[in-house]
This record gives sequence, structure tokens and C-alpha cells, in this order.
Amino acid sequence: MTGEMVLTVPTESGRKNRRSIGRAETLLAVATLAVLVYGALTTDGFLTLEGLKATVSGVGILGIVAVGMTCVTLSGSLFCLTLGSTLTISSMAFLSWMSIGVLPALVLTIVMGALVCAVQGLLIGGLAANPIVVTVGLGSLQIGVASWLTNQSTVYPPAGASYQWLSAVYAGLPLSVYVLVALVLAVAAWLSWSRTGQLIRLVGENSRAARAAGIPVTGTVVAGFVIAGGCAALGGVLLGATDGNATLLSGGDRYTYDAIAAVLVGGAAAGGGRGKVQHTVYGALFIALISNMLLLRGFGGGAQMLVTGVLVLIVLLIFQMRRRVR
Amino acid sequence: MSALIAKLKRTPLPRSSASMTFLLMTVMFAVVPVAAGSTFSTFSVYTALQIFGTYGLIALALGITMIAGQFDLSTLGMYSLGGMVAVKLGQGAPMTGVAAAVLVGAVAGLIQGSIVSRFRINSMAVTLGGFLVLLGLSRTLGDDRTVSYDDVGVGIILDRPLAAVLSMHTLVVLGCFVLIATVMARTRLGRDIRAVGGDARASHIAGVHVERVTTGVFVISGVLAGLAGALNAFTLSSALVNPGFAPLVFAGTAALIGGVGLAGGRGTAWGIALGALSLSLLQAMFGMLASPSWVSSIITGVLLAAAAAFSGLRRQTVWMAWKRSMSHMTNRNPGRLGGNGISP
Repeated sequence: MTGEMVLTVPTESGRKNRRSIGRAETLLAVATLAVLVYGALTTDGFLTLEGLKATVSGVGILGIVAVGMTCVTLSGSLFCLTLGSTLTISSMAFLSWMSIGVLPALVLTIVMGALVCAVQGLLIGGLAANPIVVTVGLGSLQIGVASWLTNQSTVYPPAGASYQWLSAVYAGLPLSVYVLVALVLAVAAWLSWSRTGQLIRLVGENSRAARAAGIPVTGTVVAGFVIAGGCAALGGVLLGATDGNATLLSGGDRYTYDAIAAVLVGGAAAGGGRGKVQHTVYGALFIALISNMLLLRGFGGGAQMLVTGVLVLIVLLIFQMRRRVR
Repeated sequence: MSALIAKLKRTPLPRSSASMTFLLMTVMFAVVPVAAGSTFSTFSVYTALQIFGTYGLIALALGITMIAGQFDLSTLGMYSLGGMVAVKLGQGAPMTGVAAAVLVGAVAGLIQGSIVSRFRINSMAVTLGGFLVLLGLSRTLGDDRTVSYDDVGVGIILDRPLAAVLSMHTLVVLGCFVLIATVMARTRLGRDIRAVGGDARASHIAGVHVERVTTGVFVISGVLAGLAGALNAFTLSSALVNPGFAPLVFAGTAALIGGVGLAGGRGTAWGIALGALSLSLLQAMFGMLASPSWVSSIITGVLLAAAAAFSGLRRQTVWMAWKRSMSHMTNRNPGRLGGNGISP
């Protein structure tokens, strides 16, 4: 924490940020409570152990991707619009590489995801290229190469591979939830205590000033993207293990949008510099709670998307107005 | 390296680099398929222009927000919603459907533009929210299914070849390009849009209504995306629930090839048209070569990333040149002061 204070030099604004984030937590807590009470009163099966378990289970893989997305946003590179594609190709790669063993395939997949995103970070951090265009372009490239290699067919794991532990349920919750908890702790610690982690916020706040101060901007942005790619690949591994097959049509795009929505609902500044991974996961949980309530009341995916979008806009407005009042 | 930088600095106006790309694509389009053994016909030109008709307006919608220094992701959602609204409300009355789609686009643009300009929130974040809302609305309206349009005749009239290579569809799209190009080149609004995109603060000081111009740009973008969705839905005789990323990839690439600067302020509607036409020719060529879809997807991806990198490189060389001149000044000044300061 002290390190962060030193780096975000104007201490007053640092204090302001922390205070506003503290308030944001109260705000989200109140909103969550309101949703829980409203849901419990009006929707059958919402506030039950099973209902909550379903909500939390659904957040696992999305939360992992959203943690990665937070690192991209913090570094001032807006959003990676193709983490969903990286997730999809990772699940395909993991399933087909499993013939060399589950653990090697897992490691290899995560390395691949990290490399794929590192290239994006290199273009964005090194050449100041527009993040949206670069990520969309390289996402198209990922899908193109994957569909070339797989001939647009569905990938199945090799017979007899023992990967079921990756999708098993432990104490009522799938492995992805435990992975998410561990990941949040690790990334949060990295962001506040490691040098690169601290630099990410500084670069996100003002990359030109950071460059002028001799901070390795390119390396920092690449680090953010590497984490994002690794997270997306990890999510892909878990998704592939859960589904037992993977195709390009499995709708990975959904993870991109939902992860960005989670980052924004969690109150991170879209322009970079401010935000926390814990808050992103909180945002993901909040969206999942509402989606689950809508689902239980018989609404489809469209309505869930609509409500998520409205939520994003509301949160953006609230945070912006709070910032302006100060 | 310095030669490269000098060359980059001397790179001619974006507009002419767009026409160079267009020329190159035209030559390739005429030569490559014939060399590969297929016959060249007016029908292949028609096919290319139909691709232009499908995605051209989205490229224009996105491109114009980029010129104004913003980025409208919601064009994707509006593309889908426009089609859904046109199909739902236009059963038996296609013009009503188109009008409704355009109106919805204008309203969506007005709301998002107001949020972006009034509250100064990053347009990417706002339009991502808008994208989710619009696509969500579209899916809710269509009950998460592709909705078909009963009057197949409308699509047939819209896409019947006119003068061998054109169709009503492409004529409408070209008309929109002419209209926007005229507005951009001849009117105060067009000048203001470029000014705001180049430097919003300076424009404000110069008396430009920055908020109004920004909002207006989003309205234009919404209207164009809604119209594109409606036209495409009539062509397909159905409204697609999820258009995927393809329209956005096309639009972004077309705008960049067309010389729209990512930092805002640079670009013309003609450039976007040339970019969109170049890309349409490229895609049609892949279609004629009967290459699998991944080829096109790889090439577009590489093009897009390269264009973004090139655009970033240009910006950086300007930045480096500025920094160099700054360091010259700081290095030289002490000496000058020491030498000339005493005896003026």
C-alpha cells in the first residue's frame, strides 16, 4: 500500500481515490442486498442454497477471464476485445494437446494464451497502437488460424484422458470457483506488491508521463496482457474440461462482453489506472445474481444481456458523477 | 531507421494512400482469379459491390465516430437491432420498417452521445453498455431466434442487378456515402467534427459546440447502423440475432485503410468508401478463388493489426520528433545564454 502511495505521487488524489473506492464498496453492498431481498421476496428458488450455489458456480470461468481483463484495463489499454476468442482457441488447444498428458497440455495452453496476448501488448504498448483495433485484428487472426488447423471441426479429448478432475465439484462448488479465489488473491497481491504490478496503474493513469519518467511502458503493458492471456487460457482449459469438447462456434464472445461488463460494474476506470480485481469479481457476482434471478423468472439470454448493459451504463454514470462532485 | 522515419513523415495524405490501396485491390481483383483459372465477369464485380452494400454503412458509421475522436462499439448492436425492428415492424410495409430502424438508431445514438459528451465518459465504455442493451433488446424482440421476413420480394427488388453491377441496395449505400461526404467536406458541421476529433479543447475555445457535435456524431452513427441493419435484413429476408464480430472487423479495417486516424481528426467519407471498397474486392476475390473462410479471416486480421501498428508508428514518430526538438532546445539554451546573454 505504501508503495502505491509513493507511486501515485499526488497523495491527495490517492486518498480521494481510496475514499471513493471505499464508498463504491458500500454502494455495491447496498445494491447487492437490495437485489437479494427483492429476489428472495419475488422469485422462488432464488435465495436458496442451491440457487446461490448455481450463481457462484456460473461466475467461476467468467471471473477468471474478468480478472485478466482487469489487468488490461488497469494498464490503460481499454479492453481486450478478443479474450473470448483466446478462451475458445485455448479450450480447443488443451483438448487436442492432452495426448501428451494433462498437466503438460495445461501448461502449454496457458503459455500459448499468454504469448498470443503478449503480441497484442507489444503492439499496443510499444507502438501506441489502438487497443481495440489491435485486439480485434489479432482476434480475427486467432480464429482464422484455429479454423485452418481444425478444419472447422469439433475437437474432442483423446480417449482415456483423465481430465475429469478439472471439472469436478468439490464441496458443492466446481474447481473453477476455487481457481478463481486463488487467482484473485495472487493477482491482487501482484498488483499491490510487485514492482511491475504497481507500475501498471501508473502507466494506465498516464502512459506519456510514465514514459517520460523512464518507466518501461512497453514491458508493463505486455505484462498486463500476458496475465490476461494466461487467465483466458486457464478459463479455456476449465471450459474445455467441463464441456468435454470445443468448437469455434461455442460462443466464446459472450465471455468478452461479460468480462468487460464485470470490470465496469466493479467500478474500474475504463481509461485505466484505477480499479481492483476484487471489485471486478464482485461486479461479476452482482451481474450473475441478477442474471440468475431473470433466468428463474423465465427471461431469456437477451433480457439478461439488456439488463447487464443497463447496469453498466448506470454504474458508469454513478461513478462519473461521484468523481465530478469532488 | 532515420530514412524510414523520414519516409513515414513524407507519406502522402491518407486519402491518396487509400486510393493506392484501392487501385492495388482492383488490379489484384482483375488479375489473380483469372490467373488462377476462373473467368472474370460483371457478376464478380456485382458480388464485390454487394459485400460493400452489406458492410459499407457500418464502416461509415464507425469511421465517422473515429474521425470525431470517439469509438462507437454499439454499431454492432444497432446493426442487429435495426434488422430486427425493420423485420418486426415492416411486415407488409418495408418503408415503415426502415423508418423505424432509422428512428431507433437515432434515439440510441442520441442517448449514448449525450452520456459521452455531457458526462465525459470514455466512449468505448459507454458504447459497450449500449451494445449490450441494443443486442439484448434485439434478442428479446426476436425471442432469441432468427426472425424471418415474409415478403421475400422486397429483398429481390433490393438486390436485383441494375446496370449489371449495381443494385438498389448498393445505390442506397453509395447515396449515404455521397451525402455524408458532402456534409463532411462542405458544411460547418463537417469541419467541426474534424476539429473536435483533432483537439476537443482547442475547438471549444474556438467556439465549437463540442458537446452538440459529439452527440450529433453518435446520432449519425446510430442512424447509419440502423439503416444498414434494416437493408441487410431485407436482403437476407430475416433478422439475425447475433451478427458476431465480422461487421466490426470489416468496419475498423475499412476505416483504417481509408486513412481515418485512430487519434481522431483525420479522415474523409471518401477515404472510408475506398477502404470499404478495397476490402469488398478482397473478400470477393477470396470468394472467387473458393478459398475457405479462414483465409479471409487471417488476411483481414493481419491487415487490421498492421494498419493499427502503422498508425501508431506514425503518431510515435511525430512524438519522437517533438521530443528531439525539445531536447535540442534544452541543450542549446544554456550555451546561448552563457555566450550571448551577457553581450546582447
